[in-house]
Amino acid sequence: MMVVVVSNAPPRLRGRLAAWLVELRAGVYVGDYSARTREMIWNQVLAGIETGDAVMVWKVPTDQGYEFLTAGRNRRMPVDFDGLKLVNFLPETPC
Amino acid sequence: MSGTSQGGLPGLPPPKPIPLKDRASLVFVEHARLDVLDGAFVAVNADGTRTQIPVGGLAGIMLEPGARISHAAVALAARVGTLITWVGEGGVRLYSAGQPGGARADRLLWQAKIALDDAARLRVVRKMYAMRFGEDAPQRRSIDQLRGIEGVRVRESYALLAQQYGVGWSRRKYDPKDWEAGDVPNRCLSAATACLHGLSEAAVLAAGYAPAIGFLHSGKPLSFVYDIADLFKLDTVVPEAFRIAGQAAKGRLEMSPDRAVRLACRDAFRRTGLLGRIIPAIEEVLSAGELPRPEPPVEAMPVAFEGGQSGDAGHRG
Repeated sequence: MMVVVVSNAPPRLRGRLAAWLVELRAGVYVGDYSARTREMIWNQVLAGIETGDAVMVWKVPTDQGYEFLTAGRNRRMPVDFDGLKLVNFLPETPC
Repeated sequence: MSGTSQGGLPGLPPPKPIPLKDRASLVFVEHARLDVLDGAFVAVNADGTRTQIPVGGLAGIMLEPGARISHAAVALAARVGTLITWVGEGGVRLYSAGQPGGARADRLLWQAKIALDDAARLRVVRKMYAMRFGEDAPQRRSIDQLRGIEGVRVRESYALLAQQYGVGWSRRKYDPKDWEAGDVPNRCLSAATACLHGLSEAAVLAAGYAPAIGFLHSGKPLSFVYDIADLFKLDTVVPEAFRIAGQAAKGRLEMSPDRAVRLACRDAFRRTGLLGRIIPAIEEVLSAGELPRPEPPVEAMPVAFEGGQSGDAGHRG
């Protein structure tokens, strides 16, 4: 099981993701693929994300049960919390 | 602080505990301020960065030195049935609360009755021996004698695992007051058993039993927790501790040994399905006492609100 969420992604990438995954809501894609296929899809995301940001989450047999990767900047950034992978929600900063 | 921070959003009922087997094991928190924001359990940093912790999806939270927790956060942890433990260096337990006692007395009475009946207590200890070593305990031995036999077998297992992972091992030696005094393998073992004890305590409480009423162990606040943890110690956390100690001895470790041990133990808990097995094991051990479970008292009030118990028997649903 894997889920990809993109925001501010170019239509080219969104169309590409829809080639393998089902878009349940705007920018939310799900599917069930092997590790190798998942890596291929993530590489496509990295290649096509441009100024947007993306996250991919999938099931793994660790204590937490899932793993995720992010690309681009977002106010929510992954953080290692004693081995539990959680998300830091950064305060709003004047750019 | 408004009422919404107590765990209930307007229109949403308060969160209920989920069964232990559906949870992840433990998380250690240091240097953070734990509070409730918008009904969620969050760690807040000095710079305003917030990290939400899925408190109801964990068996327990271990607070290390430098952690501060608010009233609302403890209340939320209690409501979702998560054990909060205050620990010192290396996860050595100092104090714990958040989910004390059980939701009902019948299991406590049953446990106490078995512990007070010498024959039933011996049957429970023999059952624990059989579960631990996969063979029946030798006949006509007292509890003290069985304790001695177990000690020898455990020491032999430690020596064997140390040899297997290339760890220099003399004996189990630790000082809870001076963490740095122990050698690396002993510190790895302490960190590993601290994880297992935290998890076992959460399980004993969730199942509705008293941590202090033990069978093989007795006279300590966590006697029953040690009894239950020992059932799983040799096939879950001890091999991980020696494996990490072996890596540390070869200089192949990128993080501190106790942290590496904790991460390895947590993955071992998931791999062995420990959270799903631990409460059934508690029931199996106590059933070996062969004493009937007490009937619910006749004066017990019927349930005021139908809808069933959530979580495990010891959770206040």
